[in-house]
Amino acid sequence: MAWAKEGHEAAFRELVRRYERPVFSLLYRMVRDRALAEDLAQETFIKVLNGIKSYRPEFKFSSWIFKIANNAGIDHLRRKSLDTLSLDGSPDAATPEEMGATALQLGDKAETPLQELEARELGTVIERAIARLRPEYRACILLRHVEGYAYEEIAEMLDLPLGTVKTYIHRARNELRGYLADKRE
Amino acid sequence: MNPTPMPHLTSEEIELWAQGILGAARAMHLADCSLCRAEAEQERKVILELAQLRRFAPSPDFADRVMAKVRIPTRSGEFTP
Ligand SMILES: [Zn+2]
Repeated sequence: MAWAKEGHEAAFRELVRRYERPVFSLLYRMVRDRALAEDLAQETFIKVLNGIKSYRPEFKFSSWIFKIANNAGIDHLRRKSLDTLSLDGSPDAATPEEMGATALQLGDKAETPLQELEARELGTVIERAIARLRPEYRACILLRHVEGYAYEEIAEMLDLPLGTVKTYIHRARNELRGYLADKRE
Repeated sequence: MNPTPMPHLTSEEIELWAQGILGAARAMHLADCSLCRAEAEQERKVILELAQLRRFAPSPDFADRVMAKVRIPTRSGEFTP
């Protein structure tokens, strides 16, 4: 990453280009709102690039970005009450019927094009199942199975003990299995 | 005489198996144990679904908006401590 420290605009742009999709995707799946996820992703990159001098080379660069992105996402979710987060309407929509009832609104013509896009992108069975996980589980499972990071790296990124990361990922997979089975019966 | 049964696969071993990288000796257990086999199949389905999730793109002007707010160090190196 020495070239980034040189600080040429082209190098910064290349970093944004390389990481914008994974970072945006993680945040989008955490907050389920495109505009908000873009704001948080923007905040992440600005923090990373303006703070590039404090980057420690012994830390993987991608880990550093994801650490800042995850903090931005989790901070936001903590500030905001959980019951407005999910496209499913309420996180208490415990049964497939309840989820189905709220899902009907997704095709509503009154929606803005952006909301329609969000419904299309995050409306699949697996995306809805991910949305129902606790944010901490969600971050862990996305970093593990979507981004492919090792448990140790995730523990470092999220400032969690290794054992906790393993437990979260194991529980998250179990919960996903439950949701997926429910929806496919 | 039957050989001593091998212990069930751990969660981490199942994850390795789902990724196709569990050692053959432990993977053999799946042939004999329907319990682990059922568990492993379910885990593999979830892991595969997650691995196939798409990567979303932010708006096309995302990089421009970021760059507008980033301090670009000059070639003369003003951006040094
Ligand atoms: Zn077994």
